Amino acid sequence: MNVPLEPVAQLLPAVVDFPFREGYVRSIIYVSLYVSVVAVTLSTLFSLPIAIVMGFSDFRGKQFVKSIINTGMGFPSVVVGLVVLFAVSNQGPLGSLELIFTKEAMIMSQFVLATPPIMAITLAAITGVSENVRDAAHVLGGTRLDVALVVIKEARYGIATAVLAGFGRAISEVGSVLIVGGNIVSSDGISSTRTLTTAIQLEARQGQYDTAMVLGAVLVTIVLMVNAIVVRLGDEGAMR
Amino acid sequence: MVRLSNVTHAFGGETVIENLSLSVDPGEVVAIIGPSGVGKTTILRIIALFLEPNSGSVTLGGQGVWSLSEDERLRLRRRIGMVFQEASLFDATVERNVEYGLRVRESWRDRLRDELWSVVGSNGTPESVTEALDLVGLSDKLHQEARSLSGGEAQRVSFARALAYEPDYLLLDEPTSDLDPRNTDLIEDAVLEARDRDIGVGIATHDMHQAERIADRVAVILGGGIAEFGPAKQVFENPADERTAKFVSGELVY
Amino acid sequence: MPIQRRKFIAAVGGGALASIAGCSGNSTQAQSDGSSSSSSAGVAGETLTLTTTTSTYDTGLLGEIHGDFEEMYGVTVDAVAQGTGAALETARNGDSDVVMVHARGLEDEFMRNGYGINRRDLMFNDFVIVGPESDPAGIQGMSSATEALNAIAEAGAPFVSRGDNSGTHTKELNLWEAAGTDPGGDWYQETGTGMGEALNIANQQGAYTLSDRGTYISQRSEIDLVILVQGPIEDGPEILANPYGIMAVNPGVHENANYDLAMAYIGWITSPGAQDAISNYQMNGEQLFFPEAVSENPDFQQYVPEGWSSNSSSE
Repeated sequence: MNVPLEPVAQLLPAVVDFPFREGYVRSIIYVSLYVSVVAVTLSTLFSLPIAIVMGFSDFRGKQFVKSIINTGMGFPSVVVGLVVLFAVSNQGPLGSLELIFTKEAMIMSQFVLATPPIMAITLAAITGVSENVRDAAHVLGGTRLDVALVVIKEARYGIATAVLAGFGRAISEVGSVLIVGGNIVSSDGISSTRTLTTAIQLEARQGQYDTAMVLGAVLVTIVLMVNAIVVRLGDEGAMR
Repeated sequence: MVRLSNVTHAFGGETVIENLSLSVDPGEVVAIIGPSGVGKTTILRIIALFLEPNSGSVTLGGQGVWSLSEDERLRLRRRIGMVFQEASLFDATVERNVEYGLRVRESWRDRLRDELWSVVGSNGTPESVTEALDLVGLSDKLHQEARSLSGGEAQRVSFARALAYEPDYLLLDEPTSDLDPRNTDLIEDAVLEARDRDIGVGIATHDMHQAERIADRVAVILGGGIAEFGPAKQVFENPADERTAKFVSGELVY
Repeated sequence: MPIQRRKFIAAVGGGALASIAGCSGNSTQAQSDGSSSSSSAGVAGETLTLTTTTSTYDTGLLGEIHGDFEEMYGVTVDAVAQGTGAALETARNGDSDVVMVHARGLEDEFMRNGYGINRRDLMFNDFVIVGPESDPAGIQGMSSATEALNAIAEAGAPFVSRGDNSGTHTKELNLWEAAGTDPGGDWYQETGTGMGEALNIANQQGAYTLSDRGTYISQRSEIDLVILVQGPIEDGPEILANPYGIMAVNPGVHENANYDLAMAYIGWITSPGAQDAISNYQMNGEQLFFPEAVSENPDFQQYVPEGWSSNSSSE
C-alpha cells in the first residue's frame, strides 16, 4: 500500500530520537521564554510598588502579609495550576474569556508562582536600603516618588536577584503549565502551548529519555545564561 | 528667616523638646549645642520643615509652614538643604549624587531628557555641581563611585550635594564628629563660605570648640529646652544661665 | 465488536454525516482565530479543541493527519493529550469540543450523562502482553489472555501495571477481573506512569506488562521485551482489542462548544479519505491503526451506549 521512502518523515514527531522537525525546538523555546518573561515582568511591576509601600511603612498586619508571601514561596505549583484551571475553565468565573489551553492561562499561573519570591526578595532589598539614604533623598527636595525611585535604584541588585529567582521558578515550571496549557503543538510542529519543560515531560513519559535529556540540556543552558548575565552585573556592582 | 516658636515635640510618649524658640537668619551661622541625645537632631528636622512639631509654630519668611498645602510646603522645603552625620551618599557616581537636588527640581520632561542624555553619556555637568565640588575641594572626583570615597571625602560630597541647588538655608547635623581634623577644617571652611554667600546655616554640634570657631549665634540645649540663645561670644564668655556656664566649661556631665 | 479488515467503500451513513458537516463551511465571514464559540455556521478561522489520551497522541497519528483537516476547512486543531479520565473530564466541563478515547465503558457513561453525542467507532488497535524473552511464567503464544495473566500470578513473576486509571490500566483491570484473579503482592507493581516509562521499567526489571501495540512498536528498538501474547490484529484473543471512539460535546449542555467544527471533524475523520490515511500510518514500518468507521454494514451499536435499545430504560 505504501512504500516508506523517508522513514524519518513518516516517524515524526513523537517517535524520532534526535532530529526534530524544523522549527520545533525553536518554537518551544519561544513559548517557554515568552510565557516566563511576560509573567515575570508583570509580577515585578506588581510587586515593586507593593514592596515599596510595605518597606516604607509599618502597618498593622504587616507581619501577616509577610508570612503570606513566605508561604507563597513554598506553595505547591501544581495546586496553583489546578486553581487557575478552575478559574479559566468553561465552568469557572473566567470561563467566558476562553483562556483555557492558551499561553495567557499559562502566564496567569506563572504569575502566581513567580510573585512570592519576587516580592519577598524585593521587599528584603528595599528594606535593606538604609533609612539615612531615604532621608537624604527626601531632605534634598525629593517628593515621595523621587524617594521611591532613589530606593529602587539603590536596591537594584537585590531587585535583579528577585527577578532572577522569579524567572527561575517560572521557566522550570512543569505541572501547572501542563494543566492549564495542554502541551499543544500544531500539526506543522510549531508549539502553541508546549514549553521546554512540558516537552521534556512528554518525551519522558514516552520513555524517550535521550531526547528528554537534549531538551533538558537546552533548558539548563538558557537558565545558566540568564543567571550568568545577572551575576556579572552584580559583580560589577560589588566591585565598586 | 526660619523661626521656631514655642515648639514642643515628643517621641513615643516622651517629650524631647518643650517650648523651644529659636531662629536662623540668612548670612549667619547658628550653632546648636548640647549633649548627645538632647534633641538637636529633632530641632534640625523641624527647622528643615521635615518634621511637624506636636505644638508650636514654624515660619519661613514669616509664613506659617504647616498650614500650607503639601505642594507649597514642598516648594519651601526645597529652599533648604541638610547634611547628616553620616554622608548617606547614593550608590552612584559623585556627579550623580551632587546633581540629585537639581534633578528633582526639574520638570519631568526635562528630567527624562537629561536622564536619557546621561545614559548616552554626552551630558555636560551643571555648573553649580562643579562649583559645589570645588568648594569642598573634590572636583577631581567627579566621576568616581561614591561608595569608594573615604569617610571624610564622602561627607564633603554630602555637603556639596546639599549646596548644589543653592539653598537659602543649610542645616548640618554633627557633620564632622566622625572626621579627622583635616576634613573637619575643610567642612568648616565650606560652612563659612556658605555663610558668606548669604545662606542661613544651622549646625548641631557637641563640639564647643567648633561652635566657638564658626558660630555667629549659639543655642545651648539642655534638658529639652533652650538654656541660652545668643551671640557666640556672649554665650561662651558671659553666659546668663548657670547650667550654660557649667556645660561650656565641661563640668556638667550627662 | 467485529473487526473488519476488508477494503472500504463509501457508506451511506458516513457519507451523509460528512456531507452534512461539510455543508456547514459554506456561509458567512471567518471568525477570529482561537474563538471556539460560533453562532453562525461558518467555521473558517476557528480552533477545535480535541482531548484525547496520551497513548493515542504519542503515536503521532494525529500530528500526521490533522494537517489535511486544517487545510480543508481553514481551521486549527488543538490536540490536548491528557489521561483518558482527564480527556473526558475536560470535555465534561465544556473545555473541549470533541473527545477521542479508547474506553468504551467510560464513553458510554459520558453519553448516558448527556455530555457526548454523535458517537462513531473510529479505529482500533490492540494490546499485547510483553515480557522478557526468558518468559518465566511460560505464557508464550497462549491464546487466552486471562490464562496468561493467571500463569503470571501463579508464578509470581514480576508484572508492571500503569496504575493510573488510563485506558490501558482499565483494560488491564478488566482482564484480571475476567481471569478471576485479584492482583497483589510483591510481584505486582503499580507505577503510575505513562506507557513508555512503564515499558522501560518493565524492561529494567525483566517484568511482564500489558501494552498497547503502538507504544511497544515505538519502543522496540530500545528495550529487550518481546511480545508473548498477541492481540487480535495478529490473531490473538479478542479480549485484547482496543477500539477507539470519537464523540462531540453536546451543545445542549455546553452552549459554547464548537459543535459545527466538531461535527466537521468527526465527518472528516470517519470519511474514507481520512480512514485511508489512518490505515496508511506506520510506525517503525508497521501499521498501527485499523480503521472501522467506513463499512457496508454500519454497526448501529456505535451510536449508543452498549446494550442500549429503545426498549430499555434510558439509565
